[in-house]
Amino acid sequence: MTATAAAIVSVDSLSVAYRSGGRDVPVVHDVSFDLRPGRTLALVGESGSGKSTVAATLLGHLRHGSRLTGGTVRVDGADVFALPARELRRLRGGTVALVGQNAGQALTPSMRIGRQIAEAGGDVPVVDLLAQVRLPRPAELARRYPHELSGGQQQRVALAMAIAARPKVLVLDEPTTGLDVVTQRGVLDLVGALRDELGLAAVLVSHDLGVVAHMADEVTVLRAGRIVEAAPTGRLFAASQDPYTKRLLASVPRLDDAGLAIVGEDGEREVRPRAVVAGDAPVAVSARDVTVDYGASRAVDGVSFEVRRGEVLALVGESGSGKSTLAWTLAGLRAPSGGTMTSESGDLARPARERPVSLRRRVQLVFQNADTSLNPRRSVGDAVRRPLRFFGTAGSRAEAAVRARKLMSDVRLDPALVSRLPAQLSGGQRQRIGIARALAGEPDVLIADEITTALDVSVQAEVLRLLDDLRRERRLACLFISHDLAVVRGIADRVVVLRHGVVVEEGPTEAVFASPGHPYTRLLMAAALEPEPASAPAPDAEPLVEEVPEWTDAAEPDDLWTDHGHGHRVRRWRPAAREGAS
Amino acid sequence: MLSFIARRVLAAVGTLFLSSILVFLAVQALPGDVATQVLGRDATPDAVAALREKLKLDQPAWERYADWMGGALHGDFGLSLVSGKAVGGEVGLYLGNSALIALVTVLFAVTGSLLLGILAGLYRDRWPDHLISTVSLVGMSVPEFVVATVLVLCFSIALPLFPAVVLYGPEASIGQLLPAVWLPALALAVVMAAYIIRMARTSVIDVMASEYVTTARLKGLSTWRVVTRHALPSALLPTLHVIALNVAWLAGGIAVVENVFNYPGIGKLMLSSVQNRDLPVIQAIALISAVVYVACNLAADLGAMALNPKLRTRGRTR
Repeated sequence: MTATAAAIVSVDSLSVAYRSGGRDVPVVHDVSFDLRPGRTLALVGESGSGKSTVAATLLGHLRHGSRLTGGTVRVDGADVFALPARELRRLRGGTVALVGQNAGQALTPSMRIGRQIAEAGGDVPVVDLLAQVRLPRPAELARRYPHELSGGQQQRVALAMAIAARPKVLVLDEPTTGLDVVTQRGVLDLVGALRDELGLAAVLVSHDLGVVAHMADEVTVLRAGRIVEAAPTGRLFAASQDPYTKRLLASVPRLDDAGLAIVGEDGEREVRPRAVVAGDAPVAVSARDVTVDYGASRAVDGVSFEVRRGEVLALVGESGSGKSTLAWTLAGLRAPSGGTMTSESGDLARPARERPVSLRRRVQLVFQNADTSLNPRRSVGDAVRRPLRFFGTAGSRAEAAVRARKLMSDVRLDPALVSRLPAQLSGGQRQRIGIARALAGEPDVLIADEITTALDVSVQAEVLRLLDDLRRERRLACLFISHDLAVVRGIADRVVVLRHGVVVEEGPTEAVFASPGHPYTRLLMAAALEPEPASAPAPDAEPLVEEVPEWTDAAEPDDLWTDHGHGHRVRRWRPAAREGAS
Repeated sequence: MLSFIARRVLAAVGTLFLSSILVFLAVQALPGDVATQVLGRDATPDAVAALREKLKLDQPAWERYADWMGGALHGDFGLSLVSGKAVGGEVGLYLGNSALIALVTVLFAVTGSLLLGILAGLYRDRWPDHLISTVSLVGMSVPEFVVATVLVLCFSIALPLFPAVVLYGPEASIGQLLPAVWLPALALAVVMAAYIIRMARTSVIDVMASEYVTTARLKGLSTWRVVTRHALPSALLPTLHVIALNVAWLAGGIAVVENVFNYPGIGKLMLSSVQNRDLPVIQAIALISAVVYVACNLAADLGAMALNPKLRTRGRTR
């Protein structure tokens, strides 16, 4: 690739390796691309593809132990890796600025927001910068510390810091990955607006093809440190050439999938029809008016639902909606402060340690982060064997060992992996162990708390398929917690939408997605980004608010619901007067 | 924030109260009472009874405790059984001398070891780190009296820069004591430094690998600014409590070193009081040690508050 005169960023045959055990391990191999001012290039790939490493080289940064093994990175005419230290510092922040993935950890905890932004240089007053990233009461906010801000606010502060010195290139490394859909949409809209306003060139690193489709002009797909495909966004999404790209695109769940998408080797996409839950399937869990309090604040407020054997019920909502609290309460990790919870085999209102073993093993929780919920010093086989022995589902040590291998093959893992430590497995493999561990007690009810959130799309597709297989084979009642509506659409039979601990809408998945009744559900759906580029040539950030009416809650104690039939009901609401916005 | 401080101070006062009871009870539990200690084995029962009455030993324990505490709060710890002088004044004199050593030690050990620890952390896995880590490990493994003896061999005998022993009594002036302070202080500092260096090194390494330090670097800030503004406040946090524990350790560690150098400090007084069974003095010293411990930990808690805004802003609404 030759650098056109206009290119502000020009990466040429870049190769990076890190040293491990006395050997050079290549992480980036022969990567080239150009970026012109005002354009956005997306680096797409799964974990380990080297996309973040490439992005960081634009700031002349390499991780501890990594080094440049070939090629050049030129930004605004300067060879980044040949710059003397002083020039490099001027480049960082001045010409190229970075917005990292996790603003909560990217801001120094002991410094006030205002000072951290001021430090980044530039002539724009801090208060103006904060106002520019649409933060309310900027003067007051500047005196706050990072921990006093919400995740979305922190990311906006990181953006303010990045644009402080009016750079020419913005490097966005997974800028919205930790945020929920609504907040993500807000931050992306802001990034798009700032980019256009300031005429920035942007490099966007993301594994989320929805985000990429929404933001980028060009896409470069990386796999294991190599470029597999590079194309303008429209062409890539419409007619990708490379089988890996095809598979990646096909793995992304869509809001209009009528079931779980099964992706073939060549990226062929086939939607598996939803499993039919028998009409006479017994109710596995029933919750009535469950209320959970954290001190004075109410996290879950009068939630009721039922899950039948073989059915997947999804709990959907933003962070802070109380969906995880509800899951933990059901698993017995938190005590409810009101309401009843029962299962086929006993009362679930009691905390786990007071439940009889026979009941405890029937309700099992799979955690979001398999890597932190498994003991790092015990083999994964051990993690599966322990509950087998503990719950008495395996009598002897030998039997437990046999059963553990069986469970591992049940979750489509090679039983030869039993003696591995969690750190020696991939993220998807670890999550399978998490599921195998939960299955060891032979549960009726499986609570899956954001189990695919931390996974790459192709791995997510595999784990979802496994879960779908398991509930068919074992007639598991599954409570599936997620903030990702597209994932929910594929796997769930019924959906419960939570907002601030209150159910605002519930019903069969098809009905809720076909005609969402509550404005909050519509807001969630509008905020979800589909892996399809906007039809307009320049992807405009459509303002979110106009799609969703302002509303207020209109539920009366004896008249909570508007019934749409077939179990689809919506909490009563009415359009709000302008100033009474929620 | 104020309630946090108030709670810490209250806890400190409570700890002191409990430890004063413990100290008092421990002394009570020693075999034989003060009267027999003073009069010796051959004393007549009458004489013992008379002394017991004079020392108010015939009163119930809680009354004597209240008496002692009441006095202690005003600096009156009773009379020494050996010299007959007021314990408060005598202990105060020795304490002052020890404070001189402690001050020098803390000043040099804390600043020095923090600097070395930070340096080691910043130059992780390179030669300054290896050097500092190895030397501090040696310092940690050798007991303080050995360090003290080696220092005497080097700096008073082979190279006569400092006096090996102090020839003055407790009433010596600061000017007289000052030359003698350096070697004991150095011996103590060597032992203390190792812990602080290792802790500072580890936390600096952790913090330097954090995302916010990387962000600060990529903002184009100078290394100096990144280290002082972004890394150090968080890196010092875990080190604070190690410093506090080490400073508190001085209260006991000083005894050994003072005896090596014949320095007229609290440690020396403690040893001679134990040998002479001078119970009121021992009691007073034990209480003072407790005060030092509690004060050090309180200072560390308040220091942590200064470095960690999360502790300061607790309770403020988002």
